Parts: sequence; structure tokens; C-alpha cells
Amino acid sequence: MIYDTADNTKSSARTNRIGRPSRIRRFSAYRITEHWCVVGLFLVLVVTGLSQRFYYLEVSQWTILLIGGIDATRLVHRFAGVLFSLLVLEHLVGVAFGVMFLRTQPSMVITKKDFLDVRHNIRYYIGLESRPSACSRYDYKEKFVYWLVATGGIIMVMTGFALWFPAQAVRFLPGQFIPAAKVMHSNEGMLIFLLLAVWHIYDSIFSPDVFPLDTSMFSGYISRERMVREHPLELAELEGVSSEEITGGWGDEPPAETQDDAPPGS
Amino acid sequence: MAAVAGAIITALATPPAHAAALDRQVSEETKYCLGCHGRLGAVKRFSNGESVSVHVDPAKFKASVHRILSCTGCHEEFSPDMHPERTFRGLQQYRARASWICRKCHRNEELRTRTVHASLLDREQEGKAFVCADCHGAHEVMPVSGGKVYASEEKYCLNCHAYGMPMTFADGAVRSAVVDPVMIAASVHSNLSCSDCHFGFSSERHLKRRFRSEREFVLASAELCKRCHFDKYQKRMGSIHYKLLSQGRLDAPSCTDCHGAHYTAYVGKDRVSIARKCSSCHKKVFVTYANSVHGNALFNEANHDVPTCVDCHSPHNIKDPMVSGYHDLIPEMCSNCHADEEIMAKYGLSTDVVRTYLSDFHGVTLGLYKKQKSDAPYKPARPIAVCTDCHGTHNITDTSGPASTVLRSNLLQRCRMCHKDATADFPDTWLSHYGPTLKNAPLVFIITWAYRILMPLMLAGLLLQVFLHVWRFLVNR
Repeated sequence: MIYDTADNTKSSARTNRIGRPSRIRRFSAYRITEHWCVVGLFLVLVVTGLSQRFYYLEVSQWTILLIGGIDATRLVHRFAGVLFSLLVLEHLVGVAFGVMFLRTQPSMVITKKDFLDVRHNIRYYIGLESRPSACSRYDYKEKFVYWLVATGGIIMVMTGFALWFPAQAVRFLPGQFIPAAKVMHSNEGMLIFLLLAVWHIYDSIFSPDVFPLDTSMFSGYISRERMVREHPLELAELEGVSSEEITGGWGDEPPAETQDDAPPGS
Repeated sequence: MAAVAGAIITALATPPAHAAALDRQVSEETKYCLGCHGRLGAVKRFSNGESVSVHVDPAKFKASVHRILSCTGCHEEFSPDMHPERTFRGLQQYRARASWICRKCHRNEELRTRTVHASLLDREQEGKAFVCADCHGAHEVMPVSGGKVYASEEKYCLNCHAYGMPMTFADGAVRSAVVDPVMIAASVHSNLSCSDCHFGFSSERHLKRRFRSEREFVLASAELCKRCHFDKYQKRMGSIHYKLLSQGRLDAPSCTDCHGAHYTAYVGKDRVSIARKCSSCHKKVFVTYANSVHGNALFNEANHDVPTCVDCHSPHNIKDPMVSGYHDLIPEMCSNCHADEEIMAKYGLSTDVVRTYLSDFHGVTLGLYKKQKSDAPYKPARPIAVCTDCHGTHNITDTSGPASTVLRSNLLQRCRMCHKDATADFPDTWLSHYGPTLKNAPLVFIITWAYRILMPLMLAGLLLQVFLHVWRFLVNR
């Protein structure tokens, strides 16, 4: 997700009445596949992992027995863990390859603007600004989720392997690292689970901006309307116009929704 | 009235019905002795020229109250193989010495209950020895009144069984069927009559049974207990002892081996005597246990908080400790005491030992294995380490002090049973039942607390973001 391979030329096929595309390609098939692979493995890992963390709950014991006992549960968890590790590796290699050879823009890099956007949005929420912050391809909330999942994923992979092979891990680590890895694996998993369950589910299902469902991770497309509202800087760059033209100055101008009716930019 | 008196006289005069059956039966040994002593003319001569006939009239002996005894029951130093030559100064000394034989069974305490004998004992203390045979005869001792009416069935049976009654088994072994009236009065069964247990036996009936060996007799006798204690009997049927017995190991214990036959005492909480009972077969284990931290406290400090054999092995349905089902129950056994705040507080021990085990990898796995077992037989690929695997079973030591090094080497050995490549540092991965502190496991402690603080902060931040987002949306509308 750091670099974008979406081909937006295809999106020009569908245009609105004033000649602009009504929807814009946001995610390539590659990213969509990657996302749903993570979702699938994440669900398996959460079900098998959290039932081990909360082993004393009825529902956990029911789940474990349903899978076929604790040994089978661990086997499934480790198998999914190996696949997840491969996915993390693939992602890291992909990012490095993209940045080094394809000269793609690492759009997930946290910049100073993200911190300013946080400040701006807090002011907006409490009524001190009239508009939310104008963000580029990924806003600070998306970057927050990405980086927590990415770093968390790496932590989970490393601690997971240490717990799977404690005797080998202790050959080059102090013994205390194993109980530490257990605490870390268990809590980091819980943290990622909470982050995704609370924030990501809200953001892609329950948020009034997208309700009933943000379909961009299914179709790969996002409406121009939402691009204007959520990623105006990226849209401006895509359409080769200045950000002011997309946002309408982002000042006391009318909201972005009415902008569609305005004459097209140069 | 006359009829009633007649009936009483008849009852007094009639010897017990089984006497007739026994009358004709004397032991093989007795027959052997009577081979010589039954003939007239044999004489024993003394140093002073006096002599005594050693003839025993077989008919008179068979009618005597002692007919059920064999010769060696009284003449202990003689046997069919041994006939020692003894010298006596004279007849008087010989007769006085013969009285000692009688008094081995008919003890002074018993004699003193009768006025006539009490006066004889008083005279004896003045130096005037008495001779039993002067009044009762030697081999032809008759019942004093020719048949008595006994106050109770117990008294009737004890009339013979209070003395050394020999029982001979098919393999030639002899066992004394003696019952000590004092002990039986002190037993938990003192209010029972003999035939309550020995059904089939009465003053009219004395079954003649044949057992191949003494052990078979004991095992058959132990079956009597189930008439009242059927619950315990049933539990025992599930025990390793019963299993061994049913496989033909006759030395496996039965009821009376632990509880005794006629002297059954209330066992209750007497942990010392319980351990000692088990030790009669499990000697090696007992010695190990006695030297353990538990055994030492029990025997040397009379501490009854510590577990004795049955606390872990249970008293009647003693399971085979070598099966995994038993192994998996060990944390439960230990936690009976080690999770009990009240008991542990007395010794400054922490109940955390159980909690930390059960909440860690091994404890959790074991707990889930047990759940699986409730549905179908389950055999884990590797038996999960439980308390005894590191602390020892019967040789459990104090975890502090010099023995702690033994514990650590146990730990590594146990780790290697499953973690084959474990190095000497591997046991460090286990925090030894301590919760992580800044001192003993700083890394674990810091990580635990970092998440404890970060996670609620993150959650609160996310929820605040959601709340503000929704709120702003509503305000904008």
C-alpha cells in the first residue's frame, strides 16, 4: 500500500456529464488480493489465537474443541502464521522493489503534514475549522492503521516463531525473551484486533461517509465525490490541477459536494 | 415350670453340635505324635529317680476341650522332626514347668477374675507354685461345667478363639485363628457379633472350609467386609490393587491387609498410620516419602497439614499412577493444598505457584487436554510437564536451600523430554512460578505494563475519534 499501481487511465471510460470520471481507480487487483489474503489469515489467526489467550472462556474452549483440540488449534494457528509471515515478507520485498526499481512514490510514509492534519482535524471536529484537512492518497488515520498493522505484523511473526521454537530461540537470546515474547505476542495480537475491530470496521462499514459499505476494496474504485472529500490532493495530482481547484480553496467556500456542478478546470 | 427347668438343664448339658464333628478329627501332626505316645508303657525318668508316664489316652484327648489344638500348639519345642531330650530334677519341677504351657494362653489377668485362681496366684507370690494339672488334668482337660450357657455369641466363640487356635491350609501352612478380646472390644466393630461378619458360623454350625493357602483364606475373609461397606468395595474394584488381584497377583492388598481383621480401628485422619500401612508393601517409596519435605514434616514435626499417601492416591480407588489420566490430575492434587490460602499462609508459601502454572503454556494445554478427554479418549503426543515432573513425586524437596540445585537439574532434564534441543539456559524461559517483577524479569514486566497502558490509551483514542467523527457529521447535517 506504500506505492500505488492503480491504473487510472481505465477509469476515464466512465465519465460524468461534465467530462470528468465519476469514479476513480483506487486499488489495483494486486492490492485487493493482498488485502483479502491478510483478512483471511487474520481471521484464522484471531479465532485460533484469541481462543488461546482467553482459554478460560466457554466460547474459547468451545472453539478449540470444535477445531479438534488444542494441538489442532495450534497447528492451524501456526500454519496460518507461516502464510502470514510469507505475506509480510512479500509485502516488504514488494515495497523495497517498488521504491528501488519502479521509482514508485512511498505514499504511506509519515510526514510532518500528517501531524498538522491531526491538529487541523481536531480543530475541525470541535468547530474551530470549517473543513476537514485536505489529505493526499492516504490520510493520517489510514497511515496509523497501516503502520500499526505492519509493525504489529512483524512483531507477531518474530515473537510467534520464538514461541514456536523456544529451544532454538534461547540459543542466541536470553531465556527471559520467551515469556516476554509470549506477553508481546498475546498483547500485540489483542491490540491489532482492537484496532481493526473498532476503527477499521467503523471506517469501512459504519462511518456515515461510507455506510452501508466502502466498496473500494471490492471493486477497486472510489467515487470522485469521495475523492474530493477525502483525498483532494491526490485527485488534484491525478487530474493535473492545483489543489485549490479541487477543494475550492478549502476556506469558506461551499462544500465539495456542490463543486461537481461547477465548470470543469483547465 | 419343671419343663422349663428341664430345658435349661438339657441346654447346659448338651455340648455344641459341632463338637461331635471335631471330636473325630485331630490334626495329622497329633496322629503322628500319638503313634508313640498313644501306646502304654512309655515313661520319662527324672534325675532323682522319679518317673512319669508319657502316655496320652487318644480317646480322652479327643474328648477334651483342647482336642482342636495340635500337640505342638502346647509343646512348642517339639515337632515331628525334633524331639529334644530335656532333664528335670524331679516330678514336682516337671509338673510346675508344664503349668507354664497352660499359662501362655490362660494369662494371669484372666485367672485373677476367678476367686479360686486368684487365691492360687496370691499363694504363688508367696513362693508356693501351683500346678494346673493337679485340678484339670493334662491332656484330658474337660469343660469345667461340662458345657456352659454363654452371655453372648462373642463369648461363645472366644471360648476357643481367645486362645491360639491353629488353622492348617492345604499347602501345610499353619495360622493361628486367635482373636484378642481386648483388642476386639477396642475396635470400631466392638458392637457387632461374630456371625454378623462370619455368616454361616454359629454355636450350632462351624463350617469346615479348605483353603489352598493362608493368602487365599485372607482374601476370602476380606470379602466379608462388602456386606456393609459396599461403597468402598465398589471403589476398590476400580483400583490398581484389585486389577492386580484379578490378574492373579494374590499379594495385592485386600480390605483386611490395610484395615486389619478383628482390630479395625477408626483410621480417620491418622496420616502417620496410613503411611505406615502402605509402607508394609511399598517400602522403597515410603523411605523416599519419609525423607521428602512432606514426609519429614509428618514424621518429625507431627505436622498433619502435609499430604500422606491417600491424599494423592486416594484410599480405595487407587489408580495406576503410570497412566496419563493420572498424570494429568497431578496439578489438581497439589492445588488441594497449594492453592489453599489458609494452609499456605501458615508456612509463608505463595498460592501463586498453582495460578502461574495453570495460566502458563503447560497448564493451559493440560487443562484443554482434559476437556478433550471428556468426549473421547485422547492421547497427547507428548505428556505435558506437571508439578511432579520438576519437583519430584515422593522425593519432593524444599525449593529453597541446597536441594534447589537438584530442582534445577530436574527442570532441564524434564524440559529435554519434549524440547529435545534445550540448552542449559533453557529453564530460564520459565519464570519459576513468580509473576514478572522489575527485579526478576524486567523485560517481561516492562512489556506487560507498556501494553497495559498503551492498549486502553489506543482504544480510548480510537473511540474518541469515532465519536468526534459521528458528532461532526450530525452537526453538519
